[in-house]
Amino acid sequence: MQPFTYVRASNVGDAVKALSRGAKLLAGGTTLYDLMKLRIERPERIIDINHLGELKHFDTSGERELVFGALARMSEVAADAGLVRDYPAISESLWRAASQQLRNMASLGGNLLQRTRCPYFRGGEPYACNKRDPGSGCAAAEGLDRGQALLGASPSCSAVYPGDFAAALVAFDAEIDVVGPGGERVLPFEELHREPADTPQKETTLEPGEMIVRIRIPVTPLGRASTFLKVRDRESYAFALASAAVALEMDGDVVRDARVAVGGLATRPWRARAAERLLIGRRFDESAARAAGEAALDGAIPGRSNAFRIELGIRTVTDALMTARQRA
Amino acid sequence: MTDVPFPNVPREDARQKVCGAPIFGADSPRPGLLHAALAVSTIPKGRILDIDTLAASATPGVRQVLTHQDLADLQLPGFLLGGYGFQNFQPLRSPDIAYRGQPIAVVVADTFEAATEAAALVRATYAAEAFCPTIDSPGVDIVDQADTPMGQFLTEPVAADADAAFAAAPIKVDIELKCPAQHQNPIELIATVAEWEGDTLIVHEGTQNAEGVRHGLARVLGIPAGQVEVISPFVGGGFGQKNSLQMQTALAAAASRRAGAPVKLVVPRTQLFQGASFRPASRHHVRLGADVSGTLLAAIHETDAQSSRIDFFPGEYAATSARLYGWSAFRGLHRLIRTDTQTPGFMRAPFEHPACFAMETAMDELAYAIGMDPVDLRLANDTILDPITKRPFSSRHAGTCLRRGAERFGWQARSAEPRSMRSADGSFVGWGVALGAYPGMMVSNVVRLTANSDGGVEIAMGAHEMGQGMRSVIAAVAGRKLRISPGAVTVVIGDTRAALQQPTAGSWGSASAALAIEAAADAMWKALAKLTPDGVVEGRSPSEILKAAARDSLDVETMVKPPGQPDDVFGLLRSGLVSRAGPVFDDCVSFSFIAHFVEVHVEPRLRRIRVPRVVSVADCGRVISPRTALSQVRGGVVWGIGAALREASETDPRYGGFLNADLAEYAIPVNADIGRIDVEFIDEPDGLLESGVKSLGEVSLCGVAPAIANAVFHATGRRLRELPIRIEHVM
Ligand SMILES: Cc1cc2nc3c(=O)[nH]c(=O)nc-3n(C[C@H](O)[C@H](O)[C@H](O)COP(=O)(O)OP(=O)(O)OC[C@H]3O[C@@H](n4cnc5c(N)ncnc54)[C@H](O)[C@@H]3O)c2cc1C
Repeated sequence: MQPFTYVRASNVGDAVKALSRGAKLLAGGTTLYDLMKLRIERPERIIDINHLGELKHFDTSGERELVFGALARMSEVAADAGLVRDYPAISESLWRAASQQLRNMASLGGNLLQRTRCPYFRGGEPYACNKRDPGSGCAAAEGLDRGQALLGASPSCSAVYPGDFAAALVAFDAEIDVVGPGGERVLPFEELHREPADTPQKETTLEPGEMIVRIRIPVTPLGRASTFLKVRDRESYAFALASAAVALEMDGDVVRDARVAVGGLATRPWRARAAERLLIGRRFDESAARAAGEAALDGAIPGRSNAFRIELGIRTVTDALMTARQRA
Repeated sequence: MTDVPFPNVPREDARQKVCGAPIFGADSPRPGLLHAALAVSTIPKGRILDIDTLAASATPGVRQVLTHQDLADLQLPGFLLGGYGFQNFQPLRSPDIAYRGQPIAVVVADTFEAATEAAALVRATYAAEAFCPTIDSPGVDIVDQADTPMGQFLTEPVAADADAAFAAAPIKVDIELKCPAQHQNPIELIATVAEWEGDTLIVHEGTQNAEGVRHGLARVLGIPAGQVEVISPFVGGGFGQKNSLQMQTALAAAASRRAGAPVKLVVPRTQLFQGASFRPASRHHVRLGADVSGTLLAAIHETDAQSSRIDFFPGEYAATSARLYGWSAFRGLHRLIRTDTQTPGFMRAPFEHPACFAMETAMDELAYAIGMDPVDLRLANDTILDPITKRPFSSRHAGTCLRRGAERFGWQARSAEPRSMRSADGSFVGWGVALGAYPGMMVSNVVRLTANSDGGVEIAMGAHEMGQGMRSVIAAVAGRKLRISPGAVTVVIGDTRAALQQPTAGSWGSASAALAIEAAADAMWKALAKLTPDGVVEGRSPSEILKAAARDSLDVETMVKPPGQPDDVFGLLRSGLVSRAGPVFDDCVSFSFIAHFVEVHVEPRLRRIRVPRVVSVADCGRVISPRTALSQVRGGVVWGIGAALREASETDPRYGGFLNADLAEYAIPVNADIGRIDVEFIDEPDGLLESGVKSLGEVSLCGVAPAIANAVFHATGRRLRELPIRIEHVM
């Protein structure tokens, strides 16, 4: 492993100060170490933030918002009784991810910044990858593309953003608090990740030296009738072939408000506002749910062997909405 | 033959394993241990023009970086014919590159981290050549197995004129099927700790074949086999990946010799995908002919199976499919496809799982073509005579397996029409059945049996514990034969210092152990009789006899060979080669059988396929160790679920090698994929051995995949002839 220096931060200010070029924050390490072993991440300095007690707390009892410190562990948040009851989509998006061992280590902040599972990205040399090695090309373009993105891809990159939690966050209008050299700022979560366009190496809008300290979700009655549905190649411990985070607020049979986001299909967390617009104000039934699914996948561009995931995505949204309806 | 079933007792090493006590190969602690890591080829075929090790050598902690320029004196291990290696190609022996991921340098360092880092800094330039990495690659070389050196040993199974019988049959099924390449993925990686004591090389390594590793290594290193000892008391899963000399062992040994210190080399999972043996991909063309009453008239099974450019890894698919039913005409054919990969090998039920998938899918299609129940069709074609040799089976309870399984499963409630059954949640329900078969084989052994006056018994013999419960089997048979508690038996296996080793593979472990122990125990009783004044041993225990004769202990060494084997098998044994006999014996043919009944649910909208229950009834002869036998069958069913619905090693044809080379992307089943697995044993003793045991480990997997595929057809109306069956195939 490439040598690096290790710094233990004792407060957020320290951490940000140490966050120079070539440095990386270390939370649970489940993404960072993995990519270091693959020699894709090669930090010169690692700043361990695991001792920043202030970032470990989370509170789901607030009247205006749910607040999660960036170091809250996936497993603890997933098991939170208030979340399970009032925001099942959020809890489900966490406990359907990875494995219990990984969730015990992994932090919410690190989770948002996990990187793609594209095999050509992870495979390193000899595969061309614009994300790993800008300008080198994209081996996936003519390669095995069963798992590549259908939404938000560009000629230079079709790597899926793989995280599950992000689908729930984007559906519920989450915001993140970011601290950097210039102080603290608030970023709508939906603006954190970028589409690859022709700079797939730039995955987020975080400025150099910025770290995530908090995730906040506004309290909403939509949470109760929500679900996160994940379809994958096995029942557990696998990334999504397609997933959906959806929520409904009903007025009798009529949809008063709706949220639809999809995961596993796009190059970034993907909110499907067109699907929501179709549902709102309409009588809910299976065909409405299906129409929302179709709207969510509108614009999807298939490759050679991933076209089935368009129909799968539509059905995933449909099925998730049917579940949400039962919870309403 | 014994009429009494064996009791259900805990496995011999259960407590040890649960407590983490066993020391596996790579765990072996040694003072001054150095760590090795491999640099691997980034092209799939060609030659190294230049290799730059400067940066690697300059990495702090690195002791040496070895390349083909240093190790050109390594020899080839040989492949199956007179060989020991999983392939007849030793990396680092020359600048030739035969497959992507092939080792090109070994780095030895003070720490694992330094070795790993330095290995990544080795840079090579290559002259690349054209390559064919998959069985579908344009222009790939396909040869008739009969025209290869394997052809003289593996004759195609033939009975009567199958082509004519098929042509004349009123009802025909004619289908093509495909099975992917797969990797075993035992949790214990392939790994070696090599240490020299003077001129003697000591190897600690998880292997199913300590003697083969010893002799293969001696050949590769050019030293006498007597100067190599291989120690492998526990193997953390082998599944055929560890049944011969792997490429890393000689590299660790050579590095250790140069470093003058013990060297540990653990091959990481991703490199293992590119460098260890795997299940070859295969294509099958099956033709079945029958009359309208369901009597099978002809079967033809042709297979194109992946091999490597390096070796002719043979196919023996039809050898098993030919034995499934009592057809009057059969013809098998094998062609080998020579891909630019490492040589494939014997992954659990290497030929039998794909062969049963092909034939048992065809049988289901035939049942629907005739309009006959799939169980009834199978029962109508059961046989007691092997259709190829016309000899009787040593025992065959395939029909009983089917009948008992059908009853236990509730098969009579099945409505034949596809898509006609639904579960409470609206899922389509499919019920499928298939038969599995696997040859019964045995190997010879030289057993050393020691009885002590304190009641203890020690056994040293050739066998390996890979998690299947080998020590339990040996203790159970020895306990019964010697009229002592199995707990009084100490078993030393997997150690060339203690006894000549035979590969534990091909599901012959239990039968070979039983054969050996039965003979050794008889010899012991004979020797004990000589110590008694009246020559009577009945009613006396070995320790009573020893005490009465004032002896502390008695030692007997017994050479045991399977029925019909010539005496020179012991020569094979001594030179580390396999001495397998069966499944065809002088007056019988030995196969184990199993019937699997599977229920699948396919969701109406999302179309996820689930397997909530499986009923498996096995005919493996007498069950010696009920508890570990049950685990074998459950494990086989789990493998079958993986093989049917999940696992495939994927190759990007532009690059070669395997792309999904880790446990996250190569989808073996997880616990949440597995429902209820109900296992029943016929537990009728087979006639070949006194203990009545046949094979079990591999037959348990055979037939699971077609039972699932047949159930998927029943649930969805879709006939899927390529594995794995994934969500996109049933949407
Ligand atoms: C085998 C496997 C299976 C998985 N399966 C799934 C799955 O099914 N679904 C899913 O969603 N995820 C899955 N994951 C991903 C897993 O959820 C992430 O690895 C994990 O959430 C990352 O959190 P961490 O705390 O370990 O991050 P780290 O590895 O510590 O950090 C990840 C990245 O974020 C940066 N970082 C960490 N904290 C901050 C911060 N506060 N501010 C700014 N930057 C920060 C780090 O510098 C690093 O670049 C899987 C991972 C593995 C290894």
